[in-house]
Amino acid sequence: MTLDYFTSILVPMLEGAQMTVLLFFIAIIVSIPFGFLLTLAVKSSLKPLSLLAQGYIYIMRGTPLLLQLLLICFGLPMLPVVGEYLVLDRFVAACLGFVLNYAAYFAEIFRGGLLAIDKGQYEASQVLGLSKWQTTTRIILPQMFRVTLPAIANESVTLVKDTALLYAVAVPELLHYAQTAVNRDFTIVPFFVAGVIYLIMTLVLTFIFKGIEKRYKFE
Amino acid sequence: MAIIEVSNLRKSFGKLDVLKQITFDVNKNDVIAVIGPSGSGKSTMLRSLIHLEEINAGSITIDGDSFVKDGVYAKPQEIKKITSKMGMVFQHFNLFPHLTVKENLELPPKLVKNEPIEMIQQRSNDLLRKVGLTERADAYPANLSGGQKQRVAIARALMMNPEILLFDEPTSALDPELTGEVLEVIKALAKEQMTMIVVTHEMGFAREVANRVIFMDNGEIIESGHPAELFTNPKNERTKAFLSRSLK
Repeated sequence: MTLDYFTSILVPMLEGAQMTVLLFFIAIIVSIPFGFLLTLAVKSSLKPLSLLAQGYIYIMRGTPLLLQLLLICFGLPMLPVVGEYLVLDRFVAACLGFVLNYAAYFAEIFRGGLLAIDKGQYEASQVLGLSKWQTTTRIILPQMFRVTLPAIANESVTLVKDTALLYAVAVPELLHYAQTAVNRDFTIVPFFVAGVIYLIMTLVLTFIFKGIEKRYKFE
Repeated sequence: MAIIEVSNLRKSFGKLDVLKQITFDVNKNDVIAVIGPSGSGKSTMLRSLIHLEEINAGSITIDGDSFVKDGVYAKPQEIKKITSKMGMVFQHFNLFPHLTVKENLELPPKLVKNEPIEMIQQRSNDLLRKVGLTERADAYPANLSGGQKQRVAIARALMMNPEILLFDEPTSALDPELTGEVLEVIKALAKEQMTMIVVTHEMGFAREVANRVIFMDNGEIIESGHPAELFTNPKNERTKAFLSRSLK
């Protein structure tokens, strides 16, 4: 095993890791606000809206992410009439799948976070004359964010690992290059390299979230 | 003229009548202590005054304006305007845990009142000095004792310049040795002629500070009067029974 060989497999894998990181950021940045909107929809007093959001969450959490990805990448274009307009770029389709799926999980996390907030917070806001909007944005959201941070961190680590599902819809990413090298060179070393790269990514993420938790300790 | 007029207030939770025909007036500068056994409706009555509970019938008039008349509520904006003349202090403080003491005081007026920021900061400094917590201005509520939290909560309510302050068992969640510091603050406010209604179990405090005591039981006002009168010479049997239990 030479250093040259090592570099020769590492470079494409790191390029693949870029795809992983890009998908991660897109998914996290879009699915968190979308998830919060879903939470609000679930809690809405408009019954149809609430039921719709609950049904959406149920379907997204109740079926495999892989199935959803396959459906978006390969299933949608097969639909009659509209199918031809639904041929998306694979990566775009994958991003869409991840966002739609993770938003459902984040919605559940935020719903739990809202339940943890004492009703006294709403009452104090009311008697001090804050509007509903002010109460939500200045009093409730910051507390909800704090309560749900550990769960968000946990979900983010899962997301990093789930990006490996891109392999199944043939978007070249980290695992794809590892698998290619394994087949080509008949060695399992690339799998370990891939594993270490995933570990580094999740470790960095864990540290970032620990930092954020410390910053928002409110003590 | 009375600053608060409550007439024929009724409220029920399902079949349970929590408040039955409550009628009383509060004059400006009154300090009213509301006493009575647990479940007598004291807190519900107090919370109705600031629209934390909806009543089923009756009228509530604050400073000449009714926000609910014969069980019919005014428009939300109107209710908000009328109830904004009152401040409230809760049993469990309800400080905002993600804000420092200073931010707890300053955020609500910043959001609600149209005042220059310097005025708000000046007032928060003054009020923190008044409740003896100047040096804790940058602390988070999690790092305060119960007594300190309640003093912050009182200062926060005062930031909105209320004409009336409502206290819902302000010392009930405190360790006995911490009630004194909170009661001192309320006493100081009484000296400054602040109009207050205090739901309390502290009989000594009620006797010393209030100019009128209202005894409630089972959703009704059983008896009310000057503390010297009510405590030493209660007329109603239920008042007597309650006082003999509480003063033991």
